[in-house]
Amino acid sequence: MEDEARRRFLGVCLGGLGAAAAGGVLWPVYRYLTPRSGDEAGRTFSMAEQDLPEGAVKFFDFAGSAAVLVRKKGGELVALSAVCSHLGCIVQWDKARMSFVCPCHGGQFSTDGVVLAGPPPRALAKLPVSVAKGVITVG
Amino acid sequence: MNYFSLSKKNGMFVWTLCILAALTVLARPVPALSAENEIVCLQCHANLPEQYSRPVALWRASIHAENGIACNNCHGGDPKDMADAMNPARGFLGVPRQTEIPAFCGRCHVGVLKDYLASAHGRALGKRGPTCVTCHGNHRVVKASLDLINEKSCSSCHSYERAGAIKAAMQATEAMLLATDMRIAAYKQIGADTDRLEKGLFATRNRFHTLFHNVDLTRIKGETAAIRAEIQKIDQALARLDQVGAQRRKAGAAAVGASLLAALLFHLLRKTYR
Repeated sequence: MEDEARRRFLGVCLGGLGAAAAGGVLWPVYRYLTPRSGDEAGRTFSMAEQDLPEGAVKFFDFAGSAAVLVRKKGGELVALSAVCSHLGCIVQWDKARMSFVCPCHGGQFSTDGVVLAGPPPRALAKLPVSVAKGVITVG
Repeated sequence: MNYFSLSKKNGMFVWTLCILAALTVLARPVPALSAENEIVCLQCHANLPEQYSRPVALWRASIHAENGIACNNCHGGDPKDMADAMNPARGFLGVPRQTEIPAFCGRCHVGVLKDYLASAHGRALGKRGPTCVTCHGNHRVVKASLDLINEKSCSSCHSYERAGAIKAAMQATEAMLLATDMRIAAYKQIGADTDRLEKGLFATRNRFHTLFHNVDLTRIKGETAAIRAEIQKIDQALARLDQVGAQRRKAGAAAVGASLLAALLFHLLRKTYR
């Protein structure tokens, strides 16, 4: 009888430990799969459509790193990460060539972010962009 | 029989070790310029008299060699064909003239060229002014640091006073950059994903070192605050990694404690069945 009670107690203790261990394994998985709260700040950028004429660009901060909006000739809007895919420098706008150039090692990108020349291994990452009621929104 | 089974075990052990050793060798990082032996420039120049082989030895110790930037990346030509290695039709440029050096290096170092040309150094190009190789050397181009600004180099053309003031203004920020670089390297060594941090620091360091080429003390002082803010952002990301590390250590200790407790509970449980 005494052993029975002891077994029950030890079983409860072991069950508790097992539940804690399962929680310890599942918690990081849950954290990994769910978006973190408070991360939305800086994940959108808006500006008036009229402030970005054809052939103009606008650099801005997006989710903690540099990004750029381009109004291509013809009016199409493109939003790109301004971080060079080579070594992470911020690209600059070359208005004469209508392309982006990285000041660090001369990587060149088109207005669509495609690599035109230099060492960058990938295109500039594209960001989602939309226009509603005269306001451009990135993100 | 016993001896046979032991040697069979030993054999398996040796085979396992061999496989592990082979995997270790295969897993080693490939040198930046793994194609070195394929580059005819090096094959030929390394065996020529010192005047022509010296650049090879100097280049091997350079930041360019470390990052896989070979002879043809600067001098052009076909590095895979001995006959066309120095053919202008294949883009061979040879050695630039003194006044052509900034443009030669500036094909890659675009931002630096822009600041250099706008500076007193750049304006003195062709008038005994310094070019890139005056400070950085040619072939043995080392990672840029404030050590390049020194009395010996600067005073060969002008007094060191102004350069010394610029160096003093940059020193504290350079120390911050170096400290952050070391912290990132330590995290990289233990397998943390540091790619974004490394790129961020590279961009900031590049911006900072480019600033020097302007040789404008007021501008350097003005932009230093913004550069320090960038470094602090990276430091904050590293502090978050420190925090995660501390949390993981605590979780690890708790897991070990819980395992020991579970072992004790199982032991006690087993005793109840005796």
